[in-house]
Amino acid sequence: MANALAKRFGEVVAVDDVSFTVGASEVLGLLGPNGAGKTTVVRMLTTLSSIDSGSASIAGHDVADDPDAVRRVIGLAGQSAAVDEKLSARENLELFARLYKLAKPIRRRRIADLIERFDMGEFADRPASTYSGGQRRRLDIVAALVAEPLALFLDEPTTGLDPRSRAEVWDAVRSLANEGTSILLTTQYLDEADQLADQILVIDKGRTVATGTPESLKRDVGRDVLEVSLLTDDDLQSARRLLASEEGVSIDPEDCRIDFSITGGTRQSLDVLRRLEDQAVNISDFQLRRPTLDDVFLALTGSSADEPEEISR
Amino acid sequence: MTTIQPTHRRGATRLTDAGRDIATMLWRDTIRTARQPEMLVFAVVMGVFFLVLFNYVFGGAIGAGAEVDYLQFLVPGVFVITALQGAQQSSMGLATDLAEGVTDRFRSLPMSQVAVIAGRTLADAFRNLVGLALVALLALVMGYRFDSATGAVAAILLATAVGFGFSWLGAAIAAKVRQPDMVGMLSMFWLFPLMLASTAFAPADSMPGWLQPFATYQPISVASDAVRGLCDGALDTGDLVLAVGWTVGLLAVFAPLSIRIYTETD
Ligand SMILES: Nc1ncnc2c1ncn2[C@@H]1O[C@H](COP(=O)(O)OP(=O)(O)OP(=O)(O)O)[C@@H](O)[C@H]1O
Ligand SMILES: [Mg+2]
Repeated sequence: MANALAKRFGEVVAVDDVSFTVGASEVLGLLGPNGAGKTTVVRMLTTLSSIDSGSASIAGHDVADDPDAVRRVIGLAGQSAAVDEKLSARENLELFARLYKLAKPIRRRRIADLIERFDMGEFADRPASTYSGGQRRRLDIVAALVAEPLALFLDEPTTGLDPRSRAEVWDAVRSLANEGTSILLTTQYLDEADQLADQILVIDKGRTVATGTPESLKRDVGRDVLEVSLLTDDDLQSARRLLASEEGVSIDPEDCRIDFSITGGTRQSLDVLRRLEDQAVNISDFQLRRPTLDDVFLALTGSSADEPEEISR
Repeated sequence: MTTIQPTHRRGATRLTDAGRDIATMLWRDTIRTARQPEMLVFAVVMGVFFLVLFNYVFGGAIGAGAEVDYLQFLVPGVFVITALQGAQQSSMGLATDLAEGVTDRFRSLPMSQVAVIAGRTLADAFRNLVGLALVALLALVMGYRFDSATGAVAAILLATAVGFGFSWLGAAIAAKVRQPDMVGMLSMFWLFPLMLASTAFAPADSMPGWLQPFATYQPISVASDAVRGLCDGALDTGDLVLAVGWTVGLLAVFAPLSIRIYTETD
């Protein structure tokens, strides 16, 4: 789908050599911090930005050579809502459906279905300028679905949504993928990528830093961390001796804390705690920290992977 | 899943598609106008303002000594100014679309990108026709007399056409600047001097000598002269040729330019 994409704005290299393929019914999660180049990738693929080098094709149509054909098969919900603020949701959808040249009966049915399916009836008939952020976001995503695209692009679709709306978007993404749509979704939330994506591509400063399934990515870079705080320095020393043979252990003498990278799930955490308990090491507190995007990035970009202290920052 | 994947379109179909897109954009504009009736008011307010102000406040001074009634001189100029002001809405509208981001969606749709701008400029032209008819009514109430009904219609059409040419210039500026408030500011710089140093409100020979060549041949002046000729039934063909020439020139330069700037990818 995309091959060695690159894009620069003056001195800024926004995207540098990014490649991936998304099949039918597949969800690709494009993960990265602010300024990583996620939006730029989406804009290049949706014909909004030119491609500096590399190539991309969607459903067999080359993005640079045949943008019109590409536009016929894609749906886009960009990072900021792209709707007419003066028009209601229904009118916006009607506008876009007309521009897709859908015939009137198809248009009517499709719009009624979408409004019902995405629970927009309550606000569908007042101007979009009166919508809450979440409602506008929902309209924007639904607008991308008007012509039943083969490839759907969602740029941070759930940023700023409450948990319920987020869950609704997730459900929608899942069912669209089930119906055969290829989806590219950008996000800053690891859990979102985890929930939805079949493949994850992590980019930072325009470069690919990791790719794989959510499972492999978490296994490789973003491990769970068990943080155990100990009562005294002596306890810390005995814990250190006891667990010297373990991998992924880091000691934080200042906080009297010992951190374990956990690869074996709950069982391993319990096992570590049990061993400390058996040796009468006094534990004052413990918590299991799930990997955050922060952890993944620190682990992926630079020396931090070899310095577990960094991970437990 | 049923996929809508129209077959490849070429040539004639492409043109009808562009026509449909323009019609769709006009449909959008009617909804927007219905939702903000003040848009229509803005389309005529400048005209009404100039008509009333110039006639009653300055009319005595400007008209003094002239053999013709000042109102007879003023009204055709006001038509041109009204059309120009109305044409500014294209500029503001496009800048608003660009600022709000809805143009990003338009650009990701399989639609004629020309229609995004043409829909706007045409909508302004239609609004201008309505606005000019209203201004003409007010002028009649104030005592203005057209030479003939045909002349009146032709005058309004010509003013609208000139406004249409200028709305493409406005669209090009909007496509470049992208900020509605900046567009508004910029229009003060080019529109006001052009309006005031023109024969819309006063004959060129009443102006300082150095200004006269400009004030005689600039587009608003030739448009005012030609519209005045149509209103009075004393059309100078030269004026008409110049006015049409300017309009065609504006279209020839700014229609392609505004579309180029608008579709330019970053
Ligand atoms: N039009 C532009 N002109 C100049 N620089 C740009 C432009 N668009 C993006 N950039 C730069 O390119 C880089 C990537 O930006 P991009 O918007 O793709 O990031 P992102 O991953 O979407 O970030 P975020 O999570 O904040 O949305 C940034 O450094 C940004 O400043
Ligand atoms: Mg972004």
